Amino acid sequence: MMSTPNLVALQRGDAAAWDEAFRWLWPTVFAVSQLKLQPYCPNEVEDVAIEALEELVEKVRVVAAPEELKPLAASIAHHRAVSLLRERFAKKRGQGKTESLDAPADDAGETKHEPLAADSPLANLEQKELAERLGQSLEDLKPPLGGILSDFFLHGLRYEEIAKKRGVALGSVGVYLKRGLEAMRRIWGRREES
Amino acid sequence: MNSMNGERFFDLAMKVIARQASDAERAELDGLVSREPELKEEFERLQAGVRAAKDALPLVNAMQATAGELPGYARGRLQTKVRQTLGRPEFADKEPDRSFAGGWRWVLGLAATATAVLLVVLPMFRTPSAALIQLAMLETTGGTRGADTNEVALFQATWKGSPVRSFSSASELGAWEKNWPTDAGRSTAKIIYDPAAGEVRVFGHSKGKAFQQAFPVEKDLATTLAEVSRFIREHGF
Repeated sequence: MMSTPNLVALQRGDAAAWDEAFRWLWPTVFAVSQLKLQPYCPNEVEDVAIEALEELVEKVRVVAAPEELKPLAASIAHHRAVSLLRERFAKKRGQGKTESLDAPADDAGETKHEPLAADSPLANLEQKELAERLGQSLEDLKPPLGGILSDFFLHGLRYEEIAKKRGVALGSVGVYLKRGLEAMRRIWGRREES
Repeated sequence: MNSMNGERFFDLAMKVIARQASDAERAELDGLVSREPELKEEFERLQAGVRAAKDALPLVNAMQATAGELPGYARGRLQTKVRQTLGRPEFADKEPDRSFAGGWRWVLGLAATATAVLLVVLPMFRTPSAALIQLAMLETTGGTRGADTNEVALFQATWKGSPVRSFSSASELGAWEKNWPTDAGRSTAKIIYDPAAGEVRVFGHSKGKAFQQAFPVEKDLATTLAEVSRFIREHGF
């Protein structure tokens, strides 16, 4: 398993350190890029991921700790993907209207439903703020919290199924959900509350 | 609301929000809320939290992905960006053994992107201290490029009499990188040309000191090889 890169070596432009960092960060930037772009422009996924790493190189001198690298890379990839989608949809509409991002394309390549990108709080967070929140989420959603939240809210599993899958007591699923939800609300609800 | 009711309310609320509640559970939640109206506000707060979670969780999960390998073609482009943005690092002299073990892992990194290796190993000339120069050319374009005969010829012109051998296994490069003369005191330089990264890298040790340097191919390969030749001469080769 690859370890966190040596930040000092990266900041002085050490090629070997960057090789290691690129390999370490690639799954993250690719997965983020894929998450946003796969339904609309899958051919752009790899390019956007590479561009995100290039932008990370430009920003590395202001990174304070190696733990910031992955959240920063993810936020850069996310912003680049969102920008590309906005550009594409605006061009498609021919009137600068910002479209989104949350509806997959149908067989003809047209989106069935395109709510405004501004509906997504993540799309409008500043890159730095998004990186900070992602880093905080990594910190706070220690196993099994993140997995249980995803099981319930993203994959629609029932309490019984989660208990079996995660090897936890049925009665504790709700406790984990409550803790995880509180963490998510604390981290991601700040903007809404401010 | 006591803690038992609080837990029950939360579980019911979660199921209703996730559309997993049965009619009976929905009715039970309605009953709780009608008896304790402040729970309506709590329910709305939970809904907001769930929206935030649903929005952010996919991105948090994606950030933790570990599968997938950096495409070979991307490495050269990214390393060029590193050079252009951050310049070249200054390398401190180190003890030979330690620097080869820890400072040259980038050579192994190249192995991940290399699909063919053209290797030239030769003792070019021997100084009175029997210095050794080893040359390698690294192909990174998936076999479509092949060994460029002009580039090989340039190496042969710079270090005359060099035999040329081709390799296609990444592990062979790693083994070559680790393979040093058994005589630890013998000055040795290894030179690798990496066309995808657009640079020639040199590392080795001489007179008990390690050295390393990367030379970008900015103008043309011949010019870069001349710089490399000067560099290793300065180190006693």
